[in-house]
Amino acid sequence: MQAGKIASLTLGAVMAGASATLWSVAPHIPWLHQQQPLLRAGVLFGATVVVFAFILLPFGALIDASVAKLQRYIEGAASNDQVPIFGLGVRLMRPITRAFTGAVDQFRQREQALRNQLGDLEIRHRVSEAERRQIEAVLHAQRDAVIVTDAFHEIVMANQAAAQILGFDLASAIHQSIDAVIADDRLRQLIRDARDTGNFSVCRHVEHCLTVKDHDGDQAESRVYDVTLTCVENHKHEVGAVVTILHDLTREREISQMKSDFVSKASHELRTPLSSIRAYVEMLVDGEATDERGRQEFYRVIQDETERLGRLIDNMLNISRIEAGIVQIEREHVDMKAVIHRAVQTLEPQARDKDVSINVRLASVDLTVEGDSDMLYQVVLNLVSNAVKYTPEGGRVTVGADSDNLTRSVVVSIADTGLGIPPDSLTKIFEKFYRIENYKRVAKGTGLGLSLCKHIVETVHHGQIGVESKLGMGSKFWFAIPMRYAGSRAAA
Amino acid sequence: MSQRILVVDDEAHIVQVLSLKLRNAGYTVEMATDGEEALELALKARPDLVITDFQMPYMTGLELCRALATEESTAEVPVIILTARGYALEPEDLEIGNIRDVLSKPFSPRAIVELVQRTLAETASGPGHSQFRSEVA
Repeated sequence: MQAGKIASLTLGAVMAGASATLWSVAPHIPWLHQQQPLLRAGVLFGATVVVFAFILLPFGALIDASVAKLQRYIEGAASNDQVPIFGLGVRLMRPITRAFTGAVDQFRQREQALRNQLGDLEIRHRVSEAERRQIEAVLHAQRDAVIVTDAFHEIVMANQAAAQILGFDLASAIHQSIDAVIADDRLRQLIRDARDTGNFSVCRHVEHCLTVKDHDGDQAESRVYDVTLTCVENHKHEVGAVVTILHDLTREREISQMKSDFVSKASHELRTPLSSIRAYVEMLVDGEATDERGRQEFYRVIQDETERLGRLIDNMLNISRIEAGIVQIEREHVDMKAVIHRAVQTLEPQARDKDVSINVRLASVDLTVEGDSDMLYQVVLNLVSNAVKYTPEGGRVTVGADSDNLTRSVVVSIADTGLGIPPDSLTKIFEKFYRIENYKRVAKGTGLGLSLCKHIVETVHHGQIGVESKLGMGSKFWFAIPMRYAGSRAAA
Repeated sequence: MSQRILVVDDEAHIVQVLSLKLRNAGYTVEMATDGEEALELALKARPDLVITDFQMPYMTGLELCRALATEESTAEVPVIILTARGYALEPEDLEIGNIRDVLSKPFSPRAIVELVQRTLAETASGPGHSQFRSEVA
C-alpha cells in the first residue's frame, strides 16, 4: 500500500478516534449538562475543532518540512547534486522523489544522447568542411572550366578557369543567374537543355567554339572546347544541379595536326629514296643495264639511296626519342677540340673533292663541356657537312670554338662562303623537314639534320643554337654548350 | 621518228632511270630537273608526252601542267604526274591541263612504260581525258 494512503488513513483514524473519544466523554462532564443545549453543541464543536487543530498542525508542519526537503532535492538534481532525503516524511515523499528521480534520469539520458549526437554532428561538420575545401582546391586547380548551376539556373559553384574562359568575376558570380554571368548564348542554352532533359545516366558531350581573352584581357582568340554536361539528382529524384565542364581541345587539335603533318612529310621523305631503290632494282631485274659499268652505276645508286633512307630513319627516331624524353645520355667531360678535329677529319675528303677548304680556329683555352660525346660529334658533323655541301667550289669553311665566360659555355661556330639563307627561311631552318626549295638540287638531305642539331643542343644539353646569314654572303651557324651541366641525367 | 617524252623530276636518279627505261623502250627522251626548265624545253620542241614530279622547286608539277595548257603548241600534250604525296592532289587539281594519270612513288619503271604506250595510243586514236587511276587517294 502506498505511503500516502497509509498516512491519509492513519490521519483519518486518529481524527475519528479523537472525535469519538470527545463525544463519548462529553455526557459525563456535569458542567456541560448545566449549559443550554445550543451552547453545549457550540462547546463540543469548539472542542472538536481544537482537537483537530492539535492533530493537523504537526501534520502540516511535517508536510511543510517534506516539501522543503523535496524542493532542496529538486534543486540539487537541477544542479546535478545528490541531496539525500531522510527523517520524517521520507516515506511520504518517496513516490514523488522516486518518480522525479526516474524523470531526471530519463532527462539525463536524453541529454547525453543529444550531447553524443551533437558531438557526431560537429565531427561530421568538420569532415565535410575539410572535404569541401579539398573539392574547392581540386576545382580551382583544374584547367578545365567547371560551373555548377542549380534548378533555377543560378551559379552555385564555379572555378577560376571558368571565370577566365567565360570572362566573369568569380566572387560576384555566385548565386547569380547564368543569364547575368555567361555571355555565350549557346552555352546558356546547353545548360538549360541539360536540365530540361533531366537525364542522369548520360553525360552529354558537345563541341563548342568560344572566343577567349588571354590572361591580360588584351587579345581574344577562338578556341575549341569539349563541353560536358552532367545532371545531378536531388533527394526528390529531380534534377538538382547541372555540372558543366569545358575542356580545351585546341592544343590537342594542334598536336594532332602536327603529328599528321609529320607523318605526311616523313612519308614523302621516305618515299623519295625508296622510289629510286625500287626503280633501279627493277631495272636490274629486267636487265636494262646493258654493260657492267651501267650495272655498277645502278648498284651505287641503290647503295646511296639505301644509306639515305637509313639516315632518315635514324634521324627521325633520334628526334622523336629526344622529344619523348626517353633518350639515354652518356654524360661525360667532352673536349670540344677533339670533337671538332674528328668531324673535320671525317669531312676532309668530301671537301677536297669539291675544292672547299676547311680551316679550324680554336681558342687556346680549355674547351671541355659536360655532355654526350657522340651527340655533340653528330652536331658538329652535321653543321660542317652542311657548310661543305652548300659552299661552291673554291669556297672556304671556318670552324671556330671559344669559351664564353659570361654564360660559362663553349661556343662553336661554323662559317662558310656559300649560298647563304634567304631571310624568310632563317626562322624555319631548324623545323623538321624544312628544306629551302631552291637548294634541293644543290645537295640531298633528310630535312632533319638541323632539327636534330637543335634538339641535341637545346633539349639534351640545355644550350643554344642559332644562325646568321645573308643571301649570297655565306652563313654562320653557332651553338653554345654549358661547361657544367645543371639538371637531371635524363633528357627533358 | 620515235615519239618524244619529256621527263621532269628534281631527283636526278629518278630522271635518269626513267630516261634509260624509256630509251630502251624506243622513245626519245628529254630530261629536266624543274618545271621552268621543262616548260622551256617543251616550248622549244613539242613533246608527245610529259612525265612530271608533283613537288619540285621553282615550279610544281601542277603549275607546269597549267603553263603547258595555256600554250597553244603544248595544250594537247598528255601529262602523267608522279607524286610521293598522293593525297596532296585534290580531284579538282586533276582537271588542270591535260593530266591523264597520277602515279604514286615508289613506282615501277615497267608500269610507266606500259602507261606511256597506252596513253600515246589513246592520244593517237582521239584526244580526251582517260579515266584517272585509283592511285589518287
